[in-house]
Amino acid sequence: MNDASRNSGHKFLWILTALGAVGVIATYFVAGPHRFWANWLIWFVFVAMVALGSLFVVALQHVTGAVWSVPLRRAPERVAALTPWLIPLAFVALFSMPVVFSWTQPGASSVKALVEKSAWLNYPFFIIRLVICLLVWVISYRLLVGKSIRQDKTRDPKITVFLRRFSPLFMVLLALTITSFSFDWVSSIEAAWYSDIFGVYLFAGAALSGLAASSLAGIYLMRRDRLPHVTEDHLYNLGGLLFGFTIFWGYIAFSQYLLQWYANMPEEVFWYKQRTVGGMLIVFIILGIGHYFVPFLALMTEDAKKKWKRLRWVSVWLLFMEIVDLYWMIFPLLGKNMTLGWPELAFALFFICGGVLVAGRAMAKGEDTPVGDPFIEAGLEFHL
Amino acid sequence: MPESVFGILALFSSGEELLKAVPKVKEKGFHSLEAYTPYPVHGVDEAIGAGKSKLGILVFIMGTIGAISAFVFQWWTSAIDYPLRIGGKPYNSWEAWVPVMFEVTVLFATFTAGLGMMFIFNRLPFFGSPVLKSKAIVHTTRDKFALMIQPTKGVLDLEAARAALMEAGGYDIEILPAPDRSLPGVGWWIKILVGITAACVVAGVATSWAIKIFPTIKPMSEMENQAKLDAQEADSFFANGRGMQLPPAGTVPRGYMPILAKSPEQGGKDLFNPLPVTKRVLERGRKMFDIHCAVCHDMLGTGKPWLDKYYKAQPANLQSSTLRDAPDGYIYWVISNGKGTMPSYAADISQNDRWCIVHYVRALQRSQHAREEDLK
Repeated sequence: MNDASRNSGHKFLWILTALGAVGVIATYFVAGPHRFWANWLIWFVFVAMVALGSLFVVALQHVTGAVWSVPLRRAPERVAALTPWLIPLAFVALFSMPVVFSWTQPGASSVKALVEKSAWLNYPFFIIRLVICLLVWVISYRLLVGKSIRQDKTRDPKITVFLRRFSPLFMVLLALTITSFSFDWVSSIEAAWYSDIFGVYLFAGAALSGLAASSLAGIYLMRRDRLPHVTEDHLYNLGGLLFGFTIFWGYIAFSQYLLQWYANMPEEVFWYKQRTVGGMLIVFIILGIGHYFVPFLALMTEDAKKKWKRLRWVSVWLLFMEIVDLYWMIFPLLGKNMTLGWPELAFALFFICGGVLVAGRAMAKGEDTPVGDPFIEAGLEFHL
Repeated sequence: MPESVFGILALFSSGEELLKAVPKVKEKGFHSLEAYTPYPVHGVDEAIGAGKSKLGILVFIMGTIGAISAFVFQWWTSAIDYPLRIGGKPYNSWEAWVPVMFEVTVLFATFTAGLGMMFIFNRLPFFGSPVLKSKAIVHTTRDKFALMIQPTKGVLDLEAARAALMEAGGYDIEILPAPDRSLPGVGWWIKILVGITAACVVAGVATSWAIKIFPTIKPMSEMENQAKLDAQEADSFFANGRGMQLPPAGTVPRGYMPILAKSPEQGGKDLFNPLPVTKRVLERGRKMFDIHCAVCHDMLGTGKPWLDKYYKAQPANLQSSTLRDAPDGYIYWVISNGKGTMPSYAADISQNDRWCIVHYVRALQRSQHAREEDLK
């Protein structure tokens, strides 16, 4: 691809993002604030999941001391460039609190479960938790990715030592923050609901989205000959992780459903009841088949993990399914019927094109291969 | 004597040399190759043309069979052959079967992977591969790499093969005789059986001895020992020493309307169905009937006569003229208090659900005994 066509593609993305932005703003005034906030929450949480998932992939490589992934590490690191953008997204999302969250509604003080949870669910503490989460994520992003890019120039092996020591700490912080984030921004919309495993559920989706987005970024770089030494063997490992986390997601999602279905307790089961009637039942079935069985069978063969074309399709599909998952969790606040129209398209346009622009800008930062990493040569020689 | 040759083998000093030798040997027309290396050498599988293992396909098929058979088994046992009321769920609750399906899938898949690898693809048991008895084994498990040419369709020109290996840089060439593929004699199998039996006896005796001497350790017993009173448990807090207390005299728990009638006949006179006959009520009634009642009374309410053999009592035929003529309150009273062998269902079915069931039983009766005006 030459520079002219790349620039025109770039311009085209900007136009689409702007179009999407117009649609997003129009949603608020034409389709109403509820519709707007439901969409905003989906995409805010989705961007957070992709960003955190990518950071998780980066940290996972440091924690395990993986060598094969070193040449590919720039892919998740560049997708993680979405992390700082969570701050403006979260700032806007704060204004949704009085509108859509059940614990902020006037009747909340008469619901026993909400009164019991009021020590946790109140404006000041909620905002404090959000600020802590964002701080942890942005600082971790700066350390994990910023230091890695600095290493391109300094070639300092101490940075690798630091990253390997910092990553386990990040894992612990991520576990705590993503649990709190998922309770606050997804399950507290229906605040009377109880599910302890919910943080793990969202984490499974985040890890899967991060891996899928990283695979897409890696394939993008490979297709442009910017990762000349990355082979199908490297892709195979990424595909294997995707396969594993697909099963993990299915396991967690079904565990949550099975336990609540079995116990059949009113304070738990109503959440599923709302999401398995009317149009939401269709989404529920699509989710079960599409988020688990389709990628599970698609990733089973060796070719699906090695051949970039198939891996790309599976990754796009998994990201789409993550949106469906969030849609299924968040959209019932608009009623039991499937709400789908131009506002949803406008939001998708705005966030996908905007996200690609952000990640694309990060693609130009630093080397395509972490040349300063002491394990880069061993990583390039990796064979299955 | 081509049948009696397993292969001709040469050593190489490094993996690279072995890889370089493979195409040279292939050029000479030898394609049945095998390599023995102290550690995996990248690219050697592709070079000797080992091909992709078909084990994965077999594992997939067996895993699928595992999932399907576990599903069918549970569906047959818990929904068809011997339905049981469990936790107020419908008989064919697929959700409850998924964990077992998962386990059986894993079981079938892993057993197929392990046993299929050993017995189907590697053709074990195979006692004493000639390679194990070769001189090269000392080297291929330590620091040398061996390449072997095997007969193609039973034919191998030993001299040409030796020349090809020499030319490719191999040394210490060795001809391995064909192995004895016959199974060991009866004595060997008896030894194995005696060994397994002895091991079982020792393990059993040791376990029973260990249990007697060491106290049973219960890790993480918080769930078993909770700070609460179980049903019927004694407790010194109340004067009567019981954990469970009766409600104070003259009071009624919320949502539990007491039934004052002492007999079903009296109930038929006193109690009236408060619910209207709507689609929702009938659907609820059908669901509850199918979960709680159909186990004995069958889906149509005719009763399962063969249960007589097990319970010395026959479930009532709800289609009989007596019960068709009985008032709603009579059926409600029997559900609430039981009758004959039938126990009380008051704890399992809420009062509203009981009335829904009564409506549904009426619908069932009418479905089997339509009146003339129903035909119009």
